[in-house]
Parts: sequence; C-alpha cells; structure tokens
Amino acid sequence: MKSAFKKRESRSGYFFTLPTLLIVFSLIIYPLGYAIFISTQKTNLISEWEFVGARYYTELLTDAEFLNSLKISLTFAFFVVVGNFVVGLLLAVILNQNLKFATFFKIILMLPWLLPEVVVALIWKWLFNPTYGLINYILNTVGLIDSDVSWFDSSTSALSGVIFVAVWKGYPIVMIMMLAGMKNIPAERYEAAAIDGATRIKQFRHITLPGLRPIFLVTCILETAWWFKHFTIIWLMTSGGPAGATKVVSIDIYQQAFGNFNFGKAAAESVIILSILLAASYFYSRAIRDDNE
Amino acid sequence: MTMNSTSTLEPKALKKLGVMSDVNVARKITNLTSYAVLIFFSALIVFPILWIISTSLKNEEDLFALPPQIIPVNPTLHAFKQVWIDHPFLAYFRNSLLIVSIATLISVSFSAFAAYGLSRFKFRGHGSFMAFLLASQLFPSIMLLIPFYKIYMTLGLVNTHAALIITYVSFTIPFCTWMMRGYFNGISKDLDMAAQIDGASRFRVFRSVILPLSWPGLAATTIYSFISGWNEYIFALVLTQDEEMKTVPVGIGQLIGEYRIDWAQLMAASLYALIPLTIIFIFFNRYFISGLSAGAVKE
Repeated sequence: MKSAFKKRESRSGYFFTLPTLLIVFSLIIYPLGYAIFISTQKTNLISEWEFVGARYYTELLTDAEFLNSLKISLTFAFFVVVGNFVVGLLLAVILNQNLKFATFFKIILMLPWLLPEVVVALIWKWLFNPTYGLINYILNTVGLIDSDVSWFDSSTSALSGVIFVAVWKGYPIVMIMMLAGMKNIPAERYEAAAIDGATRIKQFRHITLPGLRPIFLVTCILETAWWFKHFTIIWLMTSGGPAGATKVVSIDIYQQAFGNFNFGKAAAESVIILSILLAASYFYSRAIRDDNE
Repeated sequence: MTMNSTSTLEPKALKKLGVMSDVNVARKITNLTSYAVLIFFSALIVFPILWIISTSLKNEEDLFALPPQIIPVNPTLHAFKQVWIDHPFLAYFRNSLLIVSIATLISVSFSAFAAYGLSRFKFRGHGSFMAFLLASQLFPSIMLLIPFYKIYMTLGLVNTHAALIITYVSFTIPFCTWMMRGYFNGISKDLDMAAQIDGASRFRVFRSVILPLSWPGLAATTIYSFISGWNEYIFALVLTQDEEMKTVPVGIGQLIGEYRIDWAQLMAASLYALIPLTIIFIFFNRYFISGLSAGAVKE
C-alpha cells in the first residue's frame, strides 16, 4: 500500500519536472559537454577539426599571460563581492529598522539592479571622462585634484574604476537577500536579548549575523560565480586595457574565440574557469552542509 | 514644568525615566546616522541617473561645454528624435521585446511546472536536481557561448530570434524554478490534500488551486526573467549579425564604439531602454522583492 503510494508520488514528481529536466539537459548539460570536447580540438568550428588532447590546458597553465588574467579575474571578483557585501549588508541592516521612508529608500537603492549593464558601463564611462566628465570637474572644484585625471589610462585606477562600477551595479542583490534573511529571524530572539539588556551591536553580532549565515553562504556562491565570469561592464569600459590591466579571463575567452577564431583554446579557458568555480562552490557547500548538521 | 511633573514621582521611577531618555537619545542618534547613510548612498545612485537625463537633453555644443553644465542651458529633445533616425532602434526594440517576451513566457511556464513537482513530491534525483539548479548559476555563460554558437551554426539559427530565445530560456529556467519552488513551499500542502479528496487530479490541483494562488511568485519570476533577457549583452552580440536582428543592449553598446561618441543620443537610447523596466518595476516591485528572496530563504 505504502509503496504503491510512493510510486505514484514519484511518478507525479517526474511528470512535473520532466519538461524542465529535458530543457536543462539539452540546453545546459549537453553544451557543457560539447565545450569540453571543443577544448581538445584545434578548430575554427567550420572546416578545421584536429584533436590536440590536453595541449591547450598544459599551454594555458604555464602561460604567464593567462595566469595573469586569472589573477585579475580573482582580484576583480574578490573586491566586488566584498564591496557588495559591505554595502549591501550595511544598507540591509539600516532598512530593516523600519525607519520612516524605508520603502522609498529601498526603491531608490534597488535601481542599479534594474539598469542594464550596458547603460551602467556607459554612464560611468561618461562620468569618468577625463575632460568633459563630471567626476573630474567635481574633484577639481573641491580641490582634491588639480589637473584632469585619465582614470582608465593607468592600470591601478582602471581596475579600481571597474570594481567601483561593478559594486555600484551589484550591491542591491546582496541587500535584498540579506533583508529577506533578516525578516526570517524570529523577532522573539531580539525581544529576549533586549530583556537581557543586550545592546544593538551585541544583538547584531550574536543574533543577526548567525541567523543570516545560511542565506549569506548561498549569496556568496552566487555572487562569486556572477562576478568571476563577468564580462559586459569591463568590456565596454576598458576592453581589457590599458595594456591588459583589466583583461579578465572572460575578455580573453571572447577575444580568443571571436577575435582569433581559436575556439579550442577559448573553450579550454572556460573549462578552467568552471573547474575553479566548482572547487570554490564545493567548499561553500561543505560549509552549508556543516550548518545543517 | 518638567520638574513639576517629575517631582511627584518616586526616586526609583525617576531613575527609570532617566534611563529611558538616555535610550531615546541614543536611538535618535542611531536614526540620524542611519538616515545619513541612506541619503549618502541614494545620492550616489540618483546623481548618475540624473546625469543620464541631463546629458540626453543637451545639444551638441553644450555636451562638451566646460565647465560641464549640470542642468542643460539649452534643453532640447533633439537626441530623442534623432536616435531613431540615425540608428535602427525601432528594429532593436522590436527584436528585444519579441525575444524577451517569448523567452519569459516559456521560462516561467516550464519552471512553475517543475517547481511544483519539486515542492510537492519526493522522487529519486530530487536532491541532485535541486543542487544542479543552483550549480548551473556557476557555469560561466561565456563557456556556453562557444558550444551554443557552434550548435546554432549547424542548425542554421545564427542571426535568428529563435537562437536568442532558446539561449535566454536556458539562462533563466534554473533560477526561476528555484524561486518558484520557494514560493510553492510557502503554500500549505493541506490545500492540495483537500482538492484531491474532492477528486481533482494532481494536474488539476496545480492548475486550478495552486497556480491561481501563486501569482505574486509568478510575477516575481516573470520580472526576473524579463529583466535578465532585456539586459543581456554578450550572447546577443555574438549571435546576431545583421543590423535589423540586433537587440537594444547591443545597439546601445555599438554607439559607444563609434569614433565620435554622441553622448546625448547614447543617453536618450538608454532612457528608452529603461521604459519597459520602469513600468514593470513600478507595478511589481513589491512582489519581486518577496518572490526573489523566497527561493533563497525557504528550504
């Protein structure tokens, strides 16, 4: 009796999930496998197909330029994710106090999430314009600089610049996730702590932060993945320049594939990126599992 | 006056009152700091957006005026008209609307269906499927770009709407399923039970009982899916070649690559691109915030 019920249960489960499962298989898993296959080929995707085995991988992992791109990607992702969490968490904590006008501020602070990356990239490119940009004008007026700065001509300021813009665009997701996480923490815990005389800072440290841990980890995985593979903002603002200072791996892959038509090598680069992300998420998910036990 | 009213109180109560007002002062200071932070960050968000508007209203001379004009001296709507004439933005908009609407429709229906299955039934592979949905967010979209390009080339789909529709479905379906599952988990299973006792099939229960209750969740997924597609850049860049097949982000991105960038037209085009997003945001903002996070919070 029970097993018949179970059988029917799982049949219904398959009935509902099968269409999406098929889509996921044909649109994600199959292309991923195909990408791995391409990475073992010297190919222009049309006429030339020559098996080269792991050659691109060994080449890439000893190629100083590629390793440097990897380093830039890591630096970029690290600072963007940290920036997003600092800003997002700070704003979430404030918005969670239910101040007057909180909804109004929440809507304004959500806006960057809504803006297309293309628009974000170009408005900041215009603001950072050395001669006609508003930023140099303001900094000049208040006396912080005395001549026009070409933000994207020096390698450190170019990387800092794209990181700043990415944080401007990226923190709202973290803010929303953290707000949702805070709403999920039972109010009784705070009441109990208040009766025990815990200050707000103590409450934040001992109730809010631990309560946020699960959603914090999930958001961390997503954020790391999103920004590690980011392309659009950097491409439109600097195209990887100056002198490769902002050339993240995504840009290298794009140029390798659609500039040099070296699809095999580009595919190998993307497989390396995927391996790094999978390794990172393995550690995150270990942390999540430890929580659940 | 305060002295009078407090003097009648007992010392103990008086002390309590003193503590209370200390707390109030502290709270006021925290609130003020909070507002200062909120205003600071809001300004950082609002000024660039106002600068888009200001730039779009300038004529060619004022664009490059020094010092920059915060408020345009000779405001004109010229760029808003000219951008349609100089560039095929009408085609870009038609393409974007068509592609993104169809992709959203497919994505939301399939993911709602799958999410119901994941939320209500236990079956073999349930856990792995859930894990995969999250893990699929890790795949560098750029990694799919090359195989997709090759597959579309073989199928003769490069430079068609279908290619981008399929691509956007593949991008949004995992996260949409995840969000919808969180939403369905918040709806009591007793409702399913009751409907089933009344003789409804599992599919009927889903269609006639659960789905009508889920429209805030559906709205949230729709917004997520629409915005993701509307803003997508790199696949549209690679998979479209003819001018009349390009999407809005590609069209705008193209303006920035021109030798002499017409910033007023760029900003005007950007503002046009924001119209659908703004409409959606105004109407569905509330559902979006709750729906987006439902998937992440509810286990």
